[in-house]
Amino acid sequence: MFREGPATTASPGKASLDTRYGLLGALLIAPTVLVFCAVIVYPLISAIYLGLFSIYTPTMEGEWVGMDNYRRLLASGEFWRSLLNNVIWTVGTLALQVIFGILVALMLHRNLVFRAFARSLVLFPYFLSTVVAVLVWRWLFNDLYGVLNHLLMWAGIVDMPVDWLGTMPNAMVSLILVGAWKYFPFVVIAVLARLQSIPDELYEAASIDGAGAWGRFVDVTLPQLRDVLIVVVLLRTIWDFKEFDLIYLLTGGGPIIGTQTLPLMVYKEAFALNQMGGASAVAVLMMLIMLLFMILYLSRARD
Amino acid sequence: MAGIRFDQVSKRFGGVTAVNALSMEIQAGEFVSILGPSGCGKTTLLRMLAGLERPSAGAISIGGAVVNELAPAERNVAMVFQTYALYPHMTVAGNIEYPLKKRRVPKTERAGRVREAARVLELEALLGRKPRELSGGQQQRVALGRALVRDPAAFLLDEPLSNLDAKLRTHMRAELIRLHRRIGRTMVYVTHDQLEAMTMSQRIAVLNEGALQQFASPQDIYARPRNDFVAGFIGTPSMNFLDGRLEGTGADRVFRSGDWSLPIGALRLADEHPDPDRRVRLGVRPEHVRLDAQGEPARVILVEPTGHETILVFDYSGNEIVARMDGEVSLEPDDSVRLSFRVAKLHLFAADDGRRLNLDDS
Repeated sequence: MFREGPATTASPGKASLDTRYGLLGALLIAPTVLVFCAVIVYPLISAIYLGLFSIYTPTMEGEWVGMDNYRRLLASGEFWRSLLNNVIWTVGTLALQVIFGILVALMLHRNLVFRAFARSLVLFPYFLSTVVAVLVWRWLFNDLYGVLNHLLMWAGIVDMPVDWLGTMPNAMVSLILVGAWKYFPFVVIAVLARLQSIPDELYEAASIDGAGAWGRFVDVTLPQLRDVLIVVVLLRTIWDFKEFDLIYLLTGGGPIIGTQTLPLMVYKEAFALNQMGGASAVAVLMMLIMLLFMILYLSRARD
Repeated sequence: MAGIRFDQVSKRFGGVTAVNALSMEIQAGEFVSILGPSGCGKTTLLRMLAGLERPSAGAISIGGAVVNELAPAERNVAMVFQTYALYPHMTVAGNIEYPLKKRRVPKTERAGRVREAARVLELEALLGRKPRELSGGQQQRVALGRALVRDPAAFLLDEPLSNLDAKLRTHMRAELIRLHRRIGRTMVYVTHDQLEAMTMSQRIAVLNEGALQQFASPQDIYARPRNDFVAGFIGTPSMNFLDGRLEGTGADRVFRSGDWSLPIGALRLADEHPDPDRRVRLGVRPEHVRLDAQGEPARVILVEPTGHETILVFDYSGNEIVARMDGEVSLEPDDSVRLSFRVAKLHLFAADDGRRLNLDDS
């Protein structure tokens, strides 16, 4: 590739080629920039701005309070409890998604006969609407007429129905399980795609070198999966951390605030307590935490 | 160090026969090439030897013991892959050390053996690098090092030089010959490149369509090809073939093709040709075609000078004949010349099954 300097023979009165290309480029990205500003930059700035006021949601009127919202939040037990819940939920559900996802991917990678069919079946939870999925799970978990309790009692594992969603730590465990069920297909697809691109020669070389099945998994498969797993974990961390609908629909953050995560707290502050300023402050704090993962992801994506 | 024996070995994939009832014996310490066109079964043969494929029939022995039921790790063979198959997340030292680690060689001994292999292959300065930081030739040497460090009974090499550029290939060829001379281990080398096979091997096994065509020294294969496939496959440019029939016997024997005939009384045949039509193929190596004022008329079609020699294509009584001549020959397309063949160097093959008819001194 070679680059030429600005043309010196351009006809007078006409802008140089570089300038005209520059203008065309600006014109082409303008729509994207405008949309980006309208849906991302404006809400972001307004959230930061609103966080400095005490605002009554229905009227959107209020007064300047400076950092008071942040001071109140950081001093309250509820914020820290929600953050802790958020971390427990994210770590728990993500760990299960990754472990289960890798196992299923390895199984699908081996089984050639049913692979196409099984792969579409595995994707089912991921494609299902969250509302539908959660309603089904609530019915399964129900302490009065739920199938799960019925089966457990029939098998003699419990002798009283278990309250899956109304007590702690059951509610958090149920939440983590449903989250893992809903999102493990994402891990399966990413890992399976990578598995299929690992050259057979590596496995053959390893078996000639004396590695057994476990040795080949540890020394060939896992190192080859490392990069894709890092990206999957970072993406899923971001997405699980901000998960709202699944938690809201399954437990609503209850019992009391037992499963309330930060996104649910934002919602509660804004629309249950009518504190738009406080809600914005929680959202800003959440954003700062997620920014950390974002930076990690971007620095990963760059190599 | 161990010899290798294939006894009636076959491999079928579904309805396709990749290797067909192949028997051959490789001596301990020998450098043998398995040579053939793409899809001739040579890689399958090597993979069966390594234990990566199971033979459908027959027995494979290494060092006198049948290894059919042994896993790759139990056969004490090392393999170098065409793509090198280095472990990308391990350093050069880690790659070379891996087979020792898996065989539970004590750590102190491992370090010494890795250093020794690295010294032999001149990899000492690269031990801390990852494979992706190495050139193709260096990766090749690491793959060799991983094989060398184990001190295996036999080395199996699957087209190890085909991913290198031409200059490096020549260099690595010489390196491999030197390595074989120094360590004296049995080496089985699969290639489709006859130059590699001819220059490196003590014996060459020529394969076609899953069947062994000839297993002999490079000189033998070139001078006394056992059939027309081997004759046509070995040698660049390829041997010229003329189809015709034999007339007469003994010193009066004549090869006739259309209205053109060639007295070949000087050529000794192993026996009288059983085909009543006496149909044969006459084989002429390009270097055995010469300009001769007493010869048959021919017309130059193409001139390809390569420097020290010139490849010429002639129209010779309606046949295209390729000749290899001195680089100083000055001929132009459409020139008329006269050609003759060195009769004592001609090859005769049966037209029906392609077997060699010449009587060879041996």
